[in-house]
Amino acid sequence: MNPRHSRLVICMALALLCGVSAVAAPPIELVVWHSYRGGEAAAFEKVVAAYNAAKAGTGVKVTTLPVPYDAFADKITAAVPRGKGPDMFIFAQDRLGGWVEAGKTIEPIDFYVDQATKDRFLTTTVQAMTYHGTIYALPFNYKVITMVYNKKLVTKPPKTTGELVQLAKSLTDAGTGRFGVAYWYSNFYYHAILMNTFGGGAFDASGKPILNCDGNIKSLELLTKWVDKDKFLPAEPSTALVTALFNDGKAAIVFSGPWFLGEIAKGIDVGLAPLPTVDEAGGKPMQPWMTVEGVFIAAGSKNKDAAYDFVKFVTDTPSAKIMAVEGRQTPANKAVYLDPQVVNDPTLRVFRQQVEVAVPMPNLAEMSMMWTPASSAMAAIVQKSATVKDALDHAQKEVVEAVGLLRKRQ
Amino acid sequence: MSKEPSHSRRFAAGVVAALVVGVGLSEWVLVRARTQENRSRAERVAVVALSAVTEVAERAGGAGDSLRRAVATIAGQNPGLKAIRVLVLDGLSLEASTASEDRGEKAAPRRLTRDEKPIYDQAQRLRAAVETNRQEGAARKPEIEVAGSAGGGLSLAAPLEKDGSVVGMVALETTAVPTAPRTDWLFPVVVVAGAGAAFWLLAVVMGERRALLALFACLLLMAAMVVMGRHAFTAVSGDRRATESAVAAAVGADEVSAAKALPELAPGEGAKPVHPANWDADVFRRPLGVIGADGKVDEAKFEQGLATGSSKTARVVGTFTVVAIAVLLFVGFGAASRLGATISKHHQAYTYTFPAIFGMVLLVFLPFLYGVALSFTGKSLYTSQVPLSEIWVGVKNFVDILGDFHIAKSTVTGLVWNYQNIYWTLGVTIVWTVTNVAYGVGMGLFLALILNTKGLLLRPIYRVIFVLPWAMPNYITALIWKGMFHQQFGVINQIIQMFGGTPVSWFEKPSTSLFACIATNAWLSVPFMMVICLGALQSISADLYEAARVDGATRWQQFRSITLPSLKPALIPAVILSVIWTFNMFNIIYIVSGGDPDHSTEIMITQAYKFAFEQYRYGYAAAYSMVIFAILLAYGIWQNKVTKATEGI
Repeated sequence: MNPRHSRLVICMALALLCGVSAVAAPPIELVVWHSYRGGEAAAFEKVVAAYNAAKAGTGVKVTTLPVPYDAFADKITAAVPRGKGPDMFIFAQDRLGGWVEAGKTIEPIDFYVDQATKDRFLTTTVQAMTYHGTIYALPFNYKVITMVYNKKLVTKPPKTTGELVQLAKSLTDAGTGRFGVAYWYSNFYYHAILMNTFGGGAFDASGKPILNCDGNIKSLELLTKWVDKDKFLPAEPSTALVTALFNDGKAAIVFSGPWFLGEIAKGIDVGLAPLPTVDEAGGKPMQPWMTVEGVFIAAGSKNKDAAYDFVKFVTDTPSAKIMAVEGRQTPANKAVYLDPQVVNDPTLRVFRQQVEVAVPMPNLAEMSMMWTPASSAMAAIVQKSATVKDALDHAQKEVVEAVGLLRKRQ
Repeated sequence: MSKEPSHSRRFAAGVVAALVVGVGLSEWVLVRARTQENRSRAERVAVVALSAVTEVAERAGGAGDSLRRAVATIAGQNPGLKAIRVLVLDGLSLEASTASEDRGEKAAPRRLTRDEKPIYDQAQRLRAAVETNRQEGAARKPEIEVAGSAGGGLSLAAPLEKDGSVVGMVALETTAVPTAPRTDWLFPVVVVAGAGAAFWLLAVVMGERRALLALFACLLLMAAMVVMGRHAFTAVSGDRRATESAVAAAVGADEVSAAKALPELAPGEGAKPVHPANWDADVFRRPLGVIGADGKVDEAKFEQGLATGSSKTARVVGTFTVVAIAVLLFVGFGAASRLGATISKHHQAYTYTFPAIFGMVLLVFLPFLYGVALSFTGKSLYTSQVPLSEIWVGVKNFVDILGDFHIAKSTVTGLVWNYQNIYWTLGVTIVWTVTNVAYGVGMGLFLALILNTKGLLLRPIYRVIFVLPWAMPNYITALIWKGMFHQQFGVINQIIQMFGGTPVSWFEKPSTSLFACIATNAWLSVPFMMVICLGALQSISADLYEAARVDGATRWQQFRSITLPSLKPALIPAVILSVIWTFNMFNIIYIVSGGDPDHSTEIMITQAYKFAFEQYRYGYAAAYSMVIFAILLAYGIWQNKVTKATEGI
C-alpha cells in the first residue's frame, strides 16, 4: 500500500468510528455555572477537564461558565424557571429554601443519592443541602469561621474563653487602639459562634423563629460582658475594620473564615486554631455557622442523569483533592482529609477540625427576613440602647410578623 | 363636516357594538365556567376515588400482598380508573400497580427504575407538603396533586400515611374526562338581535333627541345584560347540581368497592367502617362537607355555595355591563367616529411614530402595567408560579399600607415611634429630600458665586476639586463616609475628641443616623448644583451689572434683581430633577445607615426594597412602589404648574 492509500484508509476508519460513536450516543453538552475566580477557578477547570477526559468518546462534554457572584443567584432565579440557564450550578445553601419554595428552579436528587454517596460527605454538609427531608444538591466545599491569630502577639492560642479573656485583656490597650480580639461581633452571622453554643439560633427544628430564646439571651449577655466589662473588643466592628486592625498588628486574634485569609497583609505571621470552648456554656466548643457550596442540578436541564453523573464526579475524592490542594478550598468530602497532602496542610487541618462542631446555617427562605431585625437588635444591645431581652423580643416580634405575612395565603 | 351626523344612527351602532361586547363577554365567561365546572366535577370524583384507595391502602398496611389484592379489586370495580400505583419512599419501592405497562417483568413489587424519578419526586413533594403544613399549622402547600394526563384524563396523587407520618404515595390515573356540555349559541344571538330590534323601534319613535336616545340605549343594554346573567346563572347552577349528584354517587360507589377490597371493611359483624364523608376534599385534604355522612347532598351547604356563585355572577355581569355602557357612549356620542377620522387624517404621522410607540409599550408601559397589576395581588415567594388572577386581593395592599395609622404609641417612657409605618418613612423621606436639595442649592450657588469671581487665582483647579465628588461612584463615597462616622476610628469623632468632646455613636439614634446620611448626600449633591449655577451665572450679560452700577445699585440689590432672576430658568428644572433623584436615592441610605437604628432612617425606596427582597412580599412591595410613584407624580404635576407660572423673567 502506498502512503496515500494508507492515509485514505485511516481517514475512512476515523470517519466510520466517528459515525459509530455518533450513532451510539448522541452528544450531550452540559453547562455548569460557577462564581470561582483565580486559583479556585483554575482548580475547578482542572476537575472539569478531568471529567471530560474520562468521558471522552461517550459524547458527554461539560463546559463551564463563570458568572459574577453578585449577579449569580438572581440570574438563576430569573433564568431557570423559564427554561433557560445551565444544567448544573454551584452555590451556597442560603438560597436553597427560596428556590424550592419558588419552584421550577432546582431538581431534587434524593432519588439518585444512595447511602454510599451520602457517607462520602461530612454529615452536616449533607444536612445543609437538605430541605424538608429532601436532598437538593451534593455538598462541594464548606466555609466556617475559625480563630486566626498573629503569631507575634500570641504564642499559645487560647483553648477556652477563660484563657481567651485573660490573654485578650493583657493585649488590649484602648489608648493606642490595640485589641486582644477583633471580630464582627455585632453581626448575626459572626455572633452565631456564641449563640449556637448556648443552644440558641435562628429557627427551631420545625422552622419557627426563636430569636428571643434562652440560648440567644445567654450568648448576648456573655458578649455584652466582653464588650462592657472586659473591653477587649473594638467598637462598631466591620469586616474592613477587623482587617485593618489585624494587618496593622493591632488585633491579636480574629474570628473569621477562609475569605479573611486572602486579606491578610504579607508581613503578618498567621496562625490558625479552632475556636475556644466556652466556660460559661459548660465547656462546650464555640459552634460557628457553616455555609456549604453545593453542586445543584437545574430543574430545566434536559440531561439530568448525565448531570448527576458529573455532580457525583466533582464531589468525589480525587476532585476534592484538586480543589483542596490547588484551589485552597475546604471540601465537604471526608476521605480527602486522609490524604497526606491535605492533612499536613495547617490551614486545611484547622478548618477540618473546626467543621466538626459547626452547625449548618439555616437554608429556609425565611432566613432573609432574619438578618435585618437580628442585626438591629444586636446593634441596639451592643450600643446599650436596649436590654438584651427587650431587643431580642422586639426582633422576634418583627420576624414572626414578616414570616406570618409571607406564609399567609391571600 | 358639512352634514350633521345622525344621533339615532350613531346610537344604533353603539347599541349593537355594546351588545356584542357585553353579551359576547358574558357568553365567553359562561362557556369557560361550564368547562371549568365539568373539569372540577371530574376532579372531585377522582379525588373521592383517590381518597378511598388511599384509605384502603393505609388500612391494608401500606405494603404487601393484601395491599396489592385490595388495589386490584378496586381497580376492577371502578371503570373510571385507568391505573392505581402505590409507592413507598423507603427503598424506592413500587408496592402495587395496576397500570398496563407494569406487567410481567415490571410487575409490582419492585424497585423504581431510573426513568420513574418524577413519581418518586412527587411522593417526596407530597411528604414535604404534609410536614410543612403541619409545622406551620396552615394549609399552604397542596397535599393532593391533580394534573392532566396524556390520554385526556387526570393524574392524581395523595400521600400515604402510616402511624401519623408520610411513608409513600398513592397515584391514580383516570380515563378521559368527558367533554363539557355544548353551550347554546342561539340564546345570546337572540338577545342581541332582540335588543337591537327594540332599539330600532324606539329610535324611529324618538327621532334625533340625543339625551333620550342615550338613556333608552343604556336601559335596554342593562335589561339585555340582566337576561344574559340570569341565563348564565341557571346554566351554571344546573351544572353545579349535576356535580354534587355525581360526587355523591361516586362516594357511594367507592364505599362499596372499598368494602369489597378489604374484608374487614365490609359491613357486618366486627366491621371497621371507612370514612366516606372525608373523601370529597380539597387539595389540602380538608373535607368540603357538601356530601353528608349519609352520602346525600347537604342542601343547606349546597344553597350556600350557590348563593356565593350567584353574587359572583352578578359581579362579573355588572363589570361587563359597565364596559358595554362605556362602548355605547363612546360610539353613541361620536367619540369613535372622531377617533377614526383623526387616525385616517394623520395616518402618516402614526405610521412614523409606530416603531417608537411599539418600543415604549414593550419596554416601559408593559413592565409598568405589570407592576400595577402586581400591586393588586398577594404575590410572594411562595406564590411565584401562581397566576396573578388566583392571588388577586384588590386594594388590600394599599389599605394595609396607607390605612395603618399606628405611627406612634405613648408608653410610660414617652412616645414610641413605629418606624415601619409609611407615614414615618414618608416624613423621613421628606426631611431627607428637602434638607439635601436646600443644602445642595444653597452651597452650590455660594460656591458658584465664588468661582465666578473675575480674576480668581487657580480657578480651573478649584473647579476640578469641587466637581470631584460627582465624578466618583456614589457607593464608594458612601462607604468612605460610613467609615468616617465610625465611633472609635472615624475621623469625625477624632476631630470631636480633639476639641474635647465625647465621641458620638452616630448610628445609635435616628437623628444622628439621619444626619450622617444627609451629610454624605449633601457632599454629593453640591457639585451638580454648582455646575448648573456656574453655567447660568456665566451667561448673564455683564452689561446688566454695569448698568446697575451706573444707577447706583448696591451689590445686594444687584444680586436680588439681576443674578437671582437670571438663574431661575436654569435652577428650577435642576431643582425638580434633584428632588426626584434625592427622593429615590437608594445607595446612600442603604449603605451608610442601612435603616439603622431599627428602620428609623429608612426612606421609601429602601423600605420598598426590603419588602421585596428581604421579606419576599412582591405584591406588597409593588403597591408600596405605586405609592412612591403617586407621590412623585403629584409633585411633578404641581412643580410643572409652578414652573409654567415662573416662565420668563
